Amino acid sequence: MLFHSQEFVLGFLPACLAGCFLLGRFAGRTWALAWLLAASLFFYGWWNPRFVLLLLCSIAANYALGQHILHLALAERRAPARRWLIAGIAGNLVLLGWFKYADFLLHIAAPGAAPLGIFLPLAISFFTFQQIMFLVDSARQDRADSGLLTYAAFVAFFPHLIAGPIVRPKDIIPQLRRRDLAVPRATNLADGLTLFLLGLAKKLVLADTFGGFADIGFNAASRGASLGLFEAWYAVLAYSLQIYFDFSGYSDMAIGLARMMNVRFPLNFASPYQARNIAEFWRRWHITLGTFLRDCVYFPLGGSRCGTLRHSGNLLGTMLLCGLWHGAAWRFVLWGGLHGLYLVLHAHCRVTLPRPLAQALTLLAVVVAWVPFRATSAAAALSMLAGMAGLHGIALPQMVVQALPILATVATPVPVLSFLGDGRTLSFPEVTACLLLGWCIVLLLPHVHELSERARGWALTSGFAFSMQALFFAPHVAPFLYFRF
Amino acid sequence: MTPVGRILLACTASLVLYFACFAAILDRPLSYGFLRQEIDARLARGAAITGPKLVILAGSNGPYSHRCATIEPLLHMPCVNGGVAVGIALDYLFARWEALLHPGDVVYLPMEEAQYARDRATNALGPDAAIMLRHDRTTLATLPARRWLGALFAYDLRGALMTLVETALVAGGFHDPRAAATGESNAWGDHIGHTAALAATSASVLAVAVPYHPTVAQIRAGNGSVLIAGFADWAREHDVRVIGGLPTGFADSPITEEAIATIRAIYAMHGALFLELPNRSRYPRAAFFDTAEHLNETWQVVHSTAVARGLAGVIQSQRGLLPDALKVDTRSAPTSSCRHPGQAPEGRLRSASATFLAALSKILDGGAPVLAGAC
Repeated sequence: MLFHSQEFVLGFLPACLAGCFLLGRFAGRTWALAWLLAASLFFYGWWNPRFVLLLLCSIAANYALGQHILHLALAERRAPARRWLIAGIAGNLVLLGWFKYADFLLHIAAPGAAPLGIFLPLAISFFTFQQIMFLVDSARQDRADSGLLTYAAFVAFFPHLIAGPIVRPKDIIPQLRRRDLAVPRATNLADGLTLFLLGLAKKLVLADTFGGFADIGFNAASRGASLGLFEAWYAVLAYSLQIYFDFSGYSDMAIGLARMMNVRFPLNFASPYQARNIAEFWRRWHITLGTFLRDCVYFPLGGSRCGTLRHSGNLLGTMLLCGLWHGAAWRFVLWGGLHGLYLVLHAHCRVTLPRPLAQALTLLAVVVAWVPFRATSAAAALSMLAGMAGLHGIALPQMVVQALPILATVATPVPVLSFLGDGRTLSFPEVTACLLLGWCIVLLLPHVHELSERARGWALTSGFAFSMQALFFAPHVAPFLYFRF
Repeated sequence: MTPVGRILLACTASLVLYFACFAAILDRPLSYGFLRQEIDARLARGAAITGPKLVILAGSNGPYSHRCATIEPLLHMPCVNGGVAVGIALDYLFARWEALLHPGDVVYLPMEEAQYARDRATNALGPDAAIMLRHDRTTLATLPARRWLGALFAYDLRGALMTLVETALVAGGFHDPRAAATGESNAWGDHIGHTAALAATSASVLAVAVPYHPTVAQIRAGNGSVLIAGFADWAREHDVRVIGGLPTGFADSPITEEAIATIRAIYAMHGALFLELPNRSRYPRAAFFDTAEHLNETWQVVHSTAVARGLAGVIQSQRGLLPDALKVDTRSAPTSSCRHPGQAPEGRLRSASATFLAALSKILDGGAPVLAGAC
């Protein structure tokens, strides 16, 4: 079930909230928690019921292992605790690897072999990482004994189950154990509802609009078309906005949903395209994944507290893993590698630039890296990059050249840019206007969590009607991009 | 005010502003204005014809790939090319035309495949929804309530921004470059001037274009199929003859036999006929202008002549008459026999006459047009 589907908004969410608060009032917190778990499993099973069993088995096994590790750690038996921790992490990674990477590895080992065709269970990357953190916290004695019901409700909690934020058990489980968990609070309900509606607008109104523009350009490149300078740049700029609004919209909805049930999730996006350097970008983009990778990969590898070469290797290794986490394909590895390279350059070649220039350079690096991430093949990515470099020519609609004749010196006038928007006469001003709006929002405005109550009200007034238009009348609902990760 | 009250107020204000802006203030004078002009011009021509007439209804496949100026003299029947764009909802199109159709009229429907498979939600959000909300509430009132709702919510973000852009362009004296880039419409509603020379700019696009072919299940389940069937029923009750047809498309991307059978059955089951040309309206990519449904001008005439022959057979079977035009050898160049005021300049077409003759021979030699359906 998608957060931005009619069945979720009109059916699941009201029923889930009503059940939770009614049970909390008349039967107590435990029953409310059991209701939340049942609702979450229903939410997960709506997509494919057979993987509910996989999720439950994973929860049960990790809980048992976590308890064992915790008891060993509490008994100061660190060596066996460490062995069990390694076994637990390995077990989780094997499960994830089987479902997500088996075909990828098989293709590397035997390029001619037929793919195994393994179906990737929804959200496996997210719930695997959550549970690895639980095991690590158990070994570090950094958590209290929660009980199976609370743990299961934490892992399966529907606001974060499908695509994060990746939350630490020690941050969320205590909130689920609070006595007043299922007591409705007007402030939390209002805050949560506002965040949910603003996230809904980000997804349905902004992300899906830009997604349409990006798809046209990237699909054309994958079919072998040569995109001109403007078509290529517009497609990449549109994709950069799509992935930001899509994922930050999802995160806002998740944070809002949890808030309605009196649970606070950490921030996942903080205006990342306003970052002045690549390290800052990663402190603002998918913050919870960055935190996980920092705590569970980068720091254990030694972080920056080692030689230059090792430090660079740690950065590169962490980001390659980050790329691979996004998907079992070389393009994701390349994307991760590019960001690793950016981070290495940033760490070792510190140059002080004026703020606008630093911001522009960071943005350019990030936008260029989205090309291999989105393109369906290396050839398509190279073609897109060549288009962005102007190697496929610079064409502009006749109407633009007529309006600004000086452009004729650099651009070839054509009736329409075929791979821009719908390829119509007015597509150029249409896509330009949409991109301008999108980039103004991400570059000039604070993110929704920084907005004042009044500003949120105005944002809601601007976007609510369009959200309803998209929710109830748009013919197609595009899934969240991060569902596939 | 309570926090929840503030949210409700913001949401209500948003809806009120949205409805007020798009129902009464904002408009898209260039894109929707152009469509409105095109629709109204065709309807005006249809209304001006008193006797039996041929009306071609489809999306842009109608005006781009069919030429009433060619068909009319061959059939000796006034012709109107009533289609405008594939996005225009069929129920709107039919609602506008039903008022102008009389017993004895013939309606030819070379509908694009997508028209059959289109779902109800897509149908409700076409440009016609915004046009009706702002300019044609009379037609809107004749449509079901779900179409009123669709019209109220016709604008998405792109559309909303374009209302501002188009209004600004018009205010700034914007010169519409469409005529120079793609041609224009003639008095019959045909699109003309989309020459092979102009098509050269789209050659790279056409080379990699992947036509959309809905599945049989999508065609069967499509709201478009339901609307076409409903129109065929209406036509039968009003002695208007409906003849279905296939849209033009790439020869290297044929419509499957199953899909054609499904489309044919929609017409047959509702008392309409179905015309299949021997080449299934498929042409080489070089024959197209800018999309898989838009033949260039030369091939538009080739195809129209073949359609005219096919329609003549249908009409003959219905009336027991052979139209005079078809007693003439249609393999002679149509440029001399089909000249008509407002038609494309003769010289332009004559230059393509060799291609035309070869192509027409190929189409016609492929066998007689296939006529199917109930009579």
